Amino acid sequence: MLVLGGPGSHESHEEEGHPERPERVSAVLAGIGDLDLGSEVVRVAPREATRAELTRVHDGSYLDELGAFCYAGGGDIDEDTYATFDSWSVARHTAGAGLAVIDELSRAGDGVGFVLTRPPGHHALAGRAMGFCLLNNAAVAAAHLVARGERVAIVDFDVHHGNGTQSIFWNEPRVLYVSSHQMPLFPGSGTPGEVGGPDALGATLNLPLPAGATGDVIQRAYEELAAPSLEAFGATWVLVSAGYDAHRSDPLADLKLTSGDFAGLSRFIASHAGPGRLAFFLEGGYNLQALRASAAATLGTVLGANVALEERSSGGPGAETIERARRARDRALEEAHELGGRA
Amino acid sequence: MTTVAVGFDYSEDSRAAADWAAAYARERDCALVLVHAMGILEQASFEDARASLAAAGADLAARSGLADARVHAHVDYGDACSVMLRCIEAPISASLLVVGTRGHHAHAGLLLGSTSLELAEHALVPVVIVPGQR
Repeated sequence: MLVLGGPGSHESHEEEGHPERPERVSAVLAGIGDLDLGSEVVRVAPREATRAELTRVHDGSYLDELGAFCYAGGGDIDEDTYATFDSWSVARHTAGAGLAVIDELSRAGDGVGFVLTRPPGHHALAGRAMGFCLLNNAAVAAAHLVARGERVAIVDFDVHHGNGTQSIFWNEPRVLYVSSHQMPLFPGSGTPGEVGGPDALGATLNLPLPAGATGDVIQRAYEELAAPSLEAFGATWVLVSAGYDAHRSDPLADLKLTSGDFAGLSRFIASHAGPGRLAFFLEGGYNLQALRASAAATLGTVLGANVALEERSSGGPGAETIERARRARDRALEEAHELGGRA
Repeated sequence: MTTVAVGFDYSEDSRAAADWAAAYARERDCALVLVHAMGILEQASFEDARASLAAAGADLAARSGLADARVHAHVDYGDACSVMLRCIEAPISASLLVVGTRGHHAHAGLLLGSTSLELAEHALVPVVIVPGQR
């Protein structure tokens, strides 16, 4: 069963010529249509996230400022990020769509969630919009689960590091954040040496990959580095920041994944989640055909539906970065433990 | 040698900040690093952005009378605030950060936490905010 959150009314959050555009949602919907899931799709209407739900991860003053900025007509927040008059409402419904999906999965105790709304969220910090993101949708959902006593793993395979999510849960031991991303690339963070704050050492895991890296390398990074962390953490829920801009056709980055690689990654992630305890959140992905095929690959794989896949990619650079990342992470953890011991 | 890092996004305010920082660096015998933050949508390649910034640095050196060897260009991915904060760390190890009052997105910055105010809040070194011409 697919629990589909959204899309709701997101179209008025749009800026001419911007790659984060309403057609992205249509592309994913088309990909879901390709799976021919029929009655296996349960649609959940987005609801507005409340202020109390948002302030678990965002500063109240930021929410006030963002709302005021939108109601003043919006505009460009920075070089990458825009808001319109309607964006405040759209963003709250986007965050709320994730909460609605979580609640429906909890009730059903079965199925897989997909939060198909926009704008994306993983760059949004507690107190600032950035990187196309206004509110951190996956973080709001994770905090909602933590408040219920759950342990949450957030796996982020967007091509950009989810600096906002990492920052929000930096010192939160009940949330494990795992990110694979191209590096160097925006936002510049996400080194293996970033391992979490003093109360959550090891609860942040970064897997940076060089431009040109292919699916074999990213799959190995997950199996060799992420699997032990996921197994040791023992998540009761797994949320996925599902950005599809690591696809080889994406215009904003230079990784070389195919829809077949996203299928492999999704299978790996799903193997660490219990029934009804897995939800994907749409982040990036700006080539509409690639987005359609890759989202279908994710959902077709985890739901066991027939899906046409591109051949998995291999032969790109980056194999050596896995061992380098392991050493850098071990060194950072050792240093942090030594510092903690001295304090 | 003390290093001064100045944020530069080619806006008028950032040019004013760069001029102020260059004058300060000349008087105090400091190195000056011109810093540009690359967003997701920056059109230029990283190498092109670095070349453009190096050219802006050479112009600044010529205009301010600061020796070329004292002026460096640094391009990094990220938002302006994070990139400036990273300049405090090695290898740049800046001991002073300089920014203009407003960059290209001034109207949003007034409401949504401007780079200059956020830097002032988080930087562990002094921050100078230089007003542009009004």
